[in-house]
Amino acid sequence: MESSPATDANSNAVFLSGRQWLIVGAAMLILVVTAPTLWQRVELFEPGADYRIPYKLGSDYWLYARHSHEARDQRRIPLIGDSVIWGHYVPPDQTLSHHLNAALGSEQFANLGLDGTHPAALGGLVEHYAGEISGQSVVIHFNPLWITSAKHDLQTAKEFHFNHPKLVPQFTTKIPCYKASTASRLKTAIGHHIPFLAWTAHLRIAYFDGADLQRWTLQNPYACPAAALTSGLPSPESTAPDEGSSWLDRGGKQRRIGWVDLDGSLQWRFFQNTVKRVQDQGGKVFVLVGPYNEHMLDAESAATYGQIKEEIEAWLQEAKIPHLIPPPLPSALYADSSHPLAEGYALLAQQLLKDPSFQSFAR
Amino acid sequence: MLFQTWSFLVFFAVAYPLYLLIKGTRLRLPFLLAISYVFYAWLDPWYLVPIIYTSIVDYLVVAAMARYRRKGLWLFVSIANSLILLGAFKYGVFITDNLNALLSTLNLSLTLPTPSRMLPAGLSFFLFQSMGYVIDSYRGNVPREKSFVAHAVFVAFFPRLLAGPIERAGNLFPQLHEIPGIKGGDIAEGLSLFVVGLFKKIALADYLALYVSKVYAAPGEYQSPALILATVLFAWQIYFDFSGYTDMARGIARMMGIRLMLNFNNPYLATSLGEFWGRWHISLSSWFKDYVYIPLGGNRKGNFNTYRNIFLTMVLSGLWHGAAWTFVLWGAIHAIGRFATREMERTAFYRDRVPKCAKQAFVFAIVAFAWIFFRAESTSDAWLIVTRIFSSGLADPYCPLMALGLIAAVWCYQFAFESPLRWALQIRGVRIATVILMLAFLAVFTPSSEQAFIYMQF
Repeated sequence: MESSPATDANSNAVFLSGRQWLIVGAAMLILVVTAPTLWQRVELFEPGADYRIPYKLGSDYWLYARHSHEARDQRRIPLIGDSVIWGHYVPPDQTLSHHLNAALGSEQFANLGLDGTHPAALGGLVEHYAGEISGQSVVIHFNPLWITSAKHDLQTAKEFHFNHPKLVPQFTTKIPCYKASTASRLKTAIGHHIPFLAWTAHLRIAYFDGADLQRWTLQNPYACPAAALTSGLPSPESTAPDEGSSWLDRGGKQRRIGWVDLDGSLQWRFFQNTVKRVQDQGGKVFVLVGPYNEHMLDAESAATYGQIKEEIEAWLQEAKIPHLIPPPLPSALYADSSHPLAEGYALLAQQLLKDPSFQSFAR
Repeated sequence: MLFQTWSFLVFFAVAYPLYLLIKGTRLRLPFLLAISYVFYAWLDPWYLVPIIYTSIVDYLVVAAMARYRRKGLWLFVSIANSLILLGAFKYGVFITDNLNALLSTLNLSLTLPTPSRMLPAGLSFFLFQSMGYVIDSYRGNVPREKSFVAHAVFVAFFPRLLAGPIERAGNLFPQLHEIPGIKGGDIAEGLSLFVVGLFKKIALADYLALYVSKVYAAPGEYQSPALILATVLFAWQIYFDFSGYTDMARGIARMMGIRLMLNFNNPYLATSLGEFWGRWHISLSSWFKDYVYIPLGGNRKGNFNTYRNIFLTMVLSGLWHGAAWTFVLWGAIHAIGRFATREMERTAFYRDRVPKCAKQAFVFAIVAFAWIFFRAESTSDAWLIVTRIFSSGLADPYCPLMALGLIAAVWCYQFAFESPLRWALQIRGVRIATVILMLAFLAVFTPSSEQAFIYMQF
């Protein structure tokens, strides 16, 4: 049996001295610090009045931070929330921010909603990727959908894959249905503090169809990755991801809801924390609650929801937060339990603009 | 815990400064043992049971050898104990499955219960390392280790715990007892090894695995070009995966002032199968050479006995890798390849006239062919792949050009490394640029990976 001497001289590792490692370290530091900023100069991003984060870039938090930055530069009031604010069943020119701007005749509001988020994720979004809103006026939406069941409230003991897991607290608050490994949580937590990592995720999501380069080449074996990188940022979709039709057209039956007790609700606590965080950063907050589709609730569920609204209002009043809990929209203007259709958004915008506390807030 | 994860980064960031602080004190070995056990238990706390058990048994066996006369009996106890552990955890299912098939063929109604499938990561690595120490003690090649803590660190030293190298007592024990004089050069070189290993694992091995897994999961759906390319890619995947682990292990150990042995030396540049085994998984092949091949008689008793010994050693080496007939066939193919290249090397024409690169290509072809049996899910899958390679059509394989380009780049680098052009790779600017490119590629384009190393399962 022949053998070669097993010494380091045979190793083909690329050995560097300490000084050479310092050069490499400096080069990597420059890359990590400057690449995201330089990329912003190369990548054309001009969000118009109705811009919203494209549906397929829904987990591109670096782009969200950039959108938030642009909104601040254009002195717009950001509307922050889940798919209700984003406008899941309507095109970009039929969302709440659009109707507010149209009614005012100016581009005063920006759509910073993010499809698929929920209060737990929204907290992370505001904390890590919407720092630009500190000290600003902000409209934050609370969707009662997230307290309609233990599952929506992330309270099931069984693992449940919800949207935007990277935005929820990884170590500070226990979320029973979130079972990510410690390594994965650690990676996520560190990632929030290094913009470079969010930028590399942006490259993957925006230019490689949401996959990493390696998986992308598997789908495009003969394509040039450099060409994909220079193809430009994907434009926002001009249509809604799901065609909007009234919930009544699909049967529209009433149902019983297993509301979560507000005091024990994780999502409500996350929402409260988000509002407090924005306030603590000097922000002026206006809270919009609902309007939930109360037409689909049976009598008992509706009564419970009435109590929940009272509790929410009591907290908002106690915290001296301007707010609006509008009455439900006409039944035909809902697509489902919480999403209005285009006319519903127009009506909601009118209700908001007529509200004295909102007028005072937006002034 | 896997080297390429954030968990390890945090673990090492905490453990390493503490290690540097106490490396000159009596706490060094207990600390090394504690962090090694934490590292291992991170995967599964139950893994600690067999490793602590092995450490205790082999420590007592070596102590008994020093105290009592019948050393052979104690050696037998240790080897039997190791084989029972291997049998229980690794080969139990294989043995009972085959016995049950035999009982069924004989129309006997008896069915043996299938044992648990739990296999502690790196079991074969620490068992073989410990077994090597016991055999060396029996032969009188190494002094008895009196400190149980040092012995336990020898078995469980965390950088090499999951996938080697399988260290020798003569190399590791003296280093464990010395106070390591860790200099800047050790840290720089350790870091160099770690970065290369990380690049091999994340940027190369895990990338190639995507195509290989897709094709090998359903070989019947692919034609000859895809099956050939998947096999070639697997040859490189397993090299990058395993040598990447070794590089990282050696790098971490180096930063801690301990030099682990080289385990890979450009194996795909070998010109014979014998040379391949001198370059591939060197710590295992030298273990089999010292503790199996030579005791069997080596090449001392004529051609027949030499080939018998090579065959037995290679088949055992195959079985070491896994409990399946595919691994036995893989070992047998290597044995036959070794006979072939050994005989060919004896002819003047092959030795003197055939170009080196043709020999290298021939050896690579044999090795890649054998990898089919190593990678396939079953012997029937392996046979299906072999037959389809020679009989199916020539459909577009849709193999990523970037993967082939990266392999070509590594192959060129290794050719240059072993050629007169090696000086070009030693230029300071070239080395710095290479490391920056690797790190930039890792940082920008590769997701963090939690893919286990292939050899951990052995």
